Amino acid sequence: MNRYEMIYIIDTDLEETARKELIEKVSALIANNGGEIEKVDETWGKRRLAYAINYKTEGWYVLVTFKAPADLPRELERNLQINESVLRYLVVKLEEKRSAVKPRANKPAPLAAPADEEAAPAEEEAAAPAEEAVEAAPAEEAAPADAE
Amino acid sequence: MSEDRGERRPRPRGGRRPRRKVCSFCVDKIEYIDYKDINRLRRFTNERGKILPRRMSGNCAKHQRQLSEAIKRARAIALMPYTVD
Repeated sequence: MNRYEMIYIIDTDLEETARKELIEKVSALIANNGGEIEKVDETWGKRRLAYAINYKTEGWYVLVTFKAPADLPRELERNLQINESVLRYLVVKLEEKRSAVKPRANKPAPLAAPADEEAAPAEEEAAAPAEEAVEAAPAEEAAPADAE
Repeated sequence: MSEDRGERRPRPRGGRRPRRKVCSFCVDKIEYIDYKDINRLRRFTNERGKILPRRMSGNCAKHQRQLSEAIKRARAIALMPYTVD
C-alpha cells in the first residue's frame, strides 16, 4: 500500500448533482479496488484555470488522498481518461516527508533523514566564503547548529 | 560561467559585488515543496511563466530540483501557466 494524492478537474458545465455523482463514482472506484480513501477535499471548488483546456477557462478542483496498492493509479487514470467531464487529473505518490503547507497524519520520522537533510544546506553554506558577513551570518549559524 | 557564480567568490576588482543569496526553502526549513502552493511557486517564475535559474533564485541544488518538479506538476493541472504572453 502506498499513499497517493490525486487532483482532478471536473467540467463546470456539469450540474451539481451530476458532479456529486461523479465524485462518488471515483471514490467508489478507489474503494472497490483495494484502496482506502483518507480524504476528499472539495474546498478548492471552482477555480480559474491557468490556461484554457478544451476552450474552458474554469474548472472544479477535487483533491483526494488515499492509500492504495501500486496497481490502482493506472486503473484510476484509465477511467478518468475515459470520462469526458474530467478535464485533467494528476496522481502523485506521497513521500513520507511532509509539506509545511498541508500537515497530515503524523508518521514516525524516517531514521537518519533529519541529519541528512540538514547536512546538505550546511555544506552549501560552508563551501561559500562568508563575504557579506552581515547577511549570511544568521543562516550559517543556524544550519550547523541543527545538524549537530 | 564563473562570472555567473559571483556570489560564491569574493571579487577584489572594482564593480558591484553580488549579494550572496540564500536558499529560501532552506531558510524556511521546507522539506517537501508542494505543487499546490502556487503563491510560493509563483515567486520562482518570471513574468513569462518560466522557471528562474538557480543563479537568480539563489536556491540550493536540492531545492531547485524539487521546485522545478513542483512547478511542472502545477502546470500540468492548470494551476500555473506554461507560458504567459
